[in-house]
Amino acid sequence: MTSDVWGGCAIVGVGETDYVRGGDRHVCDLILDAAIEAISDAGLTPAHIDGIIPPPGYMSTEEIAAHLGVPDVAYHASILMGGASPTASLQTAAMAIAAGVADTFLICMGWNGYSALRPKPDARPTKRTMNLGPMGETVRNLYAPYGLMSAAQHYSLYLRHYVERYGVPEDAAAAVALTCRDHAQLNRKALMRGRPLTRDEYDAAPFIAEPLRKFDCCVETDCATAIVVTSIERARDLPHPPAVYLGGAEGHPQPADEIANRPDLLELGIHRAAPRAFARAGIAPTDVDVLEIYDCFTYVVLLQLEALGYAEPGDAASFVADGNIGLEGRYPMNTHGGLLSQGHCWGLNHVVEATRQLRGTADAQVPDAEVALVTGYGDLGDGSVAILGKDR
Amino acid sequence: MSRPTKTYVPSPEWIVLDWHHACIETDALCIQQCDKCGRWRHPPRRCCPDCFSDSYEFRPVAGTGSVRSLAVSHRSLDPGWNERAPYAVLLVELDEGPSVLAATDLCPAEIEIGQPVDLTTERRSDDFSLVWANPR
Ligand SMILES: [Zn+2]
Repeated sequence: MTSDVWGGCAIVGVGETDYVRGGDRHVCDLILDAAIEAISDAGLTPAHIDGIIPPPGYMSTEEIAAHLGVPDVAYHASILMGGASPTASLQTAAMAIAAGVADTFLICMGWNGYSALRPKPDARPTKRTMNLGPMGETVRNLYAPYGLMSAAQHYSLYLRHYVERYGVPEDAAAAVALTCRDHAQLNRKALMRGRPLTRDEYDAAPFIAEPLRKFDCCVETDCATAIVVTSIERARDLPHPPAVYLGGAEGHPQPADEIANRPDLLELGIHRAAPRAFARAGIAPTDVDVLEIYDCFTYVVLLQLEALGYAEPGDAASFVADGNIGLEGRYPMNTHGGLLSQGHCWGLNHVVEATRQLRGTADAQVPDAEVALVTGYGDLGDGSVAILGKDR
Repeated sequence: MSRPTKTYVPSPEWIVLDWHHACIETDALCIQQCDKCGRWRHPPRRCCPDCFSDSYEFRPVAGTGSVRSLAVSHRSLDPGWNERAPYAVLLVELDEGPSVLAATDLCPAEIEIGQPVDLTTERRSDDFSLVWANPR
């Protein structure tokens, strides 16, 4: 059976662990906890799963299938775009489902993003690592010898350029950090629930790598998420209202594996992905009700909002400061708290939240949300977009 | 500010190693140049992005350029660099066209975008040299 790629499949199950710093769950258990929850949430069993997209590292498709008892994997693919992977994975699943190669995908993500760097006495150790993919060689050979080892430092090469080119004010991204923290107060699983952030605290925080201060950076967490994607026909028979994959795309800057020699330092993967995604979904930016924007760093959100067409280049600061992204705003953003305040699950937590918004079951529910846009951002500027909508 | 002596030194391989060996042998900043069309390119690549030729050589450049951007780090996981924090790493556009990352003796506040700089290399191992950029 073959069907349309865009609009032909839907997210029917979601799973999500707590977002913690340290704990006694092994990273494999975290990943499998989320997978089991997603399959159960879809009203399915492992026997229904015939496609798998594993996390970038930690566990292979073969292991995941064996531990869950998936009897027949007809197709699998690894997507290695760092934090752009989960959102891009939807595109791969949609193509395979439309082609009739596989019917029902499990897409999972999980890691010990906190404990790997800062082991706690009670954390179960692992020798498993993330697959750095294309950026490993670049960082090892070209950036780390200059002390540039963290993503904040690498991205500061173009974020600083952004500030210089447009004369962006020093507090340009404050509203992103504060809004995500506000939304996290409403999310049962957010790491930063119960820890509100004030403007004074934001302003007083030290720089990490200019222009990024402490609260411009996401929170490292141990966590996992998973989703189940199947054809729209099967989706209509399952317990939850389907979150239909209306369209999506990936994009890569040129060159993708190195920042310094890009003709335009501010042209990222999402600048190529965004127009493709809107065209495939057949919608305009103004048709979107909820934004779940990959927020590893606040300034990266600003660049993505501009690439998506929500603000002119250099002007996203006024878009976020003008109340657009709060729960009462025109485009509520990162309603779960985002990577900045819920936790860092490579943006698959953004896909989970978008699905809940369309089901009407989010902790911070946007009334009558019909279309949700999710972005992914990863490695040295790869980008992905997924546009999800209610079944019509 | 004195230059750090104990920082991470990678063991590059393949085409990146060839680049470092050229810098070390000539005791100068070398950059890859296409044999067919003459275009300079960096970091080292097998094929020329203009003409697709994979015939090339690493040749010394003039060692002059200007600051295109910079990363000002207030902490680094590398203890040697962290001692200098806050410190700047420059993204320098060479007069030949390509851009390189370079350490600098300048303090972050002294640096201006577009500022001209001279580039030199510092041999850190048999297989790696660090690039430095400072005002002429
Ligand atoms: Zn050429």
